[in-house]
Amino acid sequence: MAEKKVLVADDEIHIVHVVAIKLRNNGYEVISADNGIQAFELACQDLPDVIVTDFQMPGMTGLQLVEKLRQCEQTKDIPVILLTARNFVISQQQQKDLQISQCLSKPFSPKELLANIEDILYRKVLNQ
Amino acid sequence: MNRIRISYIIVTTCVACSLLVAGLMGWHSRHAALCMFAYCVGAVGVIWLSWFWLKLARSITSIATALEAELPELDAGFPQGGGSRRVSSIQYRESVIKRIGSYSNLVEQLCKQVKDLQIQVKLSQRQKANTEAIIYSLPDAVIVVDESDRLLMANQAAGKLFHFDFKSSQYKPIDELIAGDKSKFVDFLRQTKHSQVEATRHEIEFTQDESSKIFDCIISCVYDERHQVCGAVAVLHDITRDKLIQQAKTDFVSHVSHELKTPLASIMACSEMLADGEADDEETKKQFYSVIQNQAKRLNRLIEDILNISRIESGLIKIEKQPVSLTIIIEEQLQMIKSYAQEKGIEIIAQTPIIYDQVYADKDMISQVIINLLSNAVKYTPCGGSVKIDTAVNQISGTAQVTVTDTGVGIPKNEIGHIFDKFYRVSANNNQAKGTGLGLNLVKQIIEKVHHGRVFVISEPGLGSTFGFELPLAIGQVVEAV
Repeated sequence: MAEKKVLVADDEIHIVHVVAIKLRNNGYEVISADNGIQAFELACQDLPDVIVTDFQMPGMTGLQLVEKLRQCEQTKDIPVILLTARNFVISQQQQKDLQISQCLSKPFSPKELLANIEDILYRKVLNQ
Repeated sequence: MNRIRISYIIVTTCVACSLLVAGLMGWHSRHAALCMFAYCVGAVGVIWLSWFWLKLARSITSIATALEAELPELDAGFPQGGGSRRVSSIQYRESVIKRIGSYSNLVEQLCKQVKDLQIQVKLSQRQKANTEAIIYSLPDAVIVVDESDRLLMANQAAGKLFHFDFKSSQYKPIDELIAGDKSKFVDFLRQTKHSQVEATRHEIEFTQDESSKIFDCIISCVYDERHQVCGAVAVLHDITRDKLIQQAKTDFVSHVSHELKTPLASIMACSEMLADGEADDEETKKQFYSVIQNQAKRLNRLIEDILNISRIESGLIKIEKQPVSLTIIIEEQLQMIKSYAQEKGIEIIAQTPIIYDQVYADKDMISQVIINLLSNAVKYTPCGGSVKIDTAVNQISGTAQVTVTDTGVGIPKNEIGHIFDKFYRVSANNNQAKGTGLGLNLVKQIIEKVHHGRVFVISEPGLGSTFGFELPLAIGQVVEAV
């Protein structure tokens, strides 16, 4: 079975590094970006199965990235997990409108992130 | 009455003296003319006294006549006959005198009451004037309307807020005076009066002088003796600044929590990976340990910066000013930054001649300023670039100046105005280096707030930036301190 691909976008390289190791150790292919613009380009190019993005990034925020992804035919259905260090940045309605699968607050547990990714991919398979 | 009494005394005295003088001198003395004069004065005095007593007798008789007319029963109660009539007349006179006394007391009481009322009226007028003066001088807008929503009273602040002149607007309907976006105030006023509640409170936003202002509006009903609403009093307190401060606090807390959570996220993630044995090889483990260590230091620096800025802003920081040499401080900080610069292959150029004119400053704080400027310069300069630090003295303005110039990425023009703001980081430079966004704010606080100096920046995107500060020279400062 082909490895599931995860795009991790965060300007904190340590976060990206740790998450990448965790996901690779659990059989995922990981592509990374350190800003929103690069993340969008990679998403269109590589069509990952899940995108994990930070909320606050240079160039384009995580929220702007998701909005752009939803406007693009190729990427509109890719599930997104939003990481944020600020409270109350996104309402339930906004989360629903942008089809954000999960919002995780920093600091987060890599185990919890992995569990969320697996859950999203499982539900995606069920829906198909 | 007093005047009559005084004149009576004077006249009596004059008569007595003149008669005495005439008696002493004698008719046949050589001062016959003077004696004649004294007799004349005496005669005039006697005539005046006779007139006075006659007038008094007539007054008493008229009072008695009036009382006699009102009290016929006194006369009817006494038997007729020569002797009895004489007795009844005496009793009658006694009763009249008693009644005169009681009426006199009554008149005195009435006079006293009138005086008291006059005093109370004067006091009330003074209190009213005091109250009006207080209301007019209040910075909050105060408006009083009657039961028909007509303006009864308004102070200067209300006139300025709603653009009307009270003197020409008194008794006019309030909705004629207040219109446009401020008419919502009139709506609140009416709602409060109709609701019959004692008081209501609203937050109202108005546009004034092209800026938005927020007011805390308290409207209280005024009740009459039948407990019916007969008017309302509105007080509007400007809370715009309070709201801005509240928002700034909220934003600050939001920024701080974000900045604290970011390194904490790295620490927690790496710790969990190490604890779960997810770091397969030694190299990965070393990386995780290094991340934990560096992020912990970052957290510590952030907390220190936040605390220092808070202490400076609240005035609680301990400041120890003394004459210090900028040259020596710069040399010390250059030693600290040298290794970091060497790692990046950045050349450090110091043009810091000995400044004989020292500055009067807190050495630790100025050291912090210089290290912040130097580390920023090295951080945002690509490998192979250069950082130059200069010092200079301006004898005319009495200041010493330090500038740090780099060949780094520069700052866009639209962001240069915010560069010293708390937590502000140039978005384009986020990839270049990490930072708390507090370093330059701390520089500004130390130089401007603590040392009454000036910070400045000149920058060109892609070419580099020059950050600098000026401090007053020590001579003037030391004299002032003494």
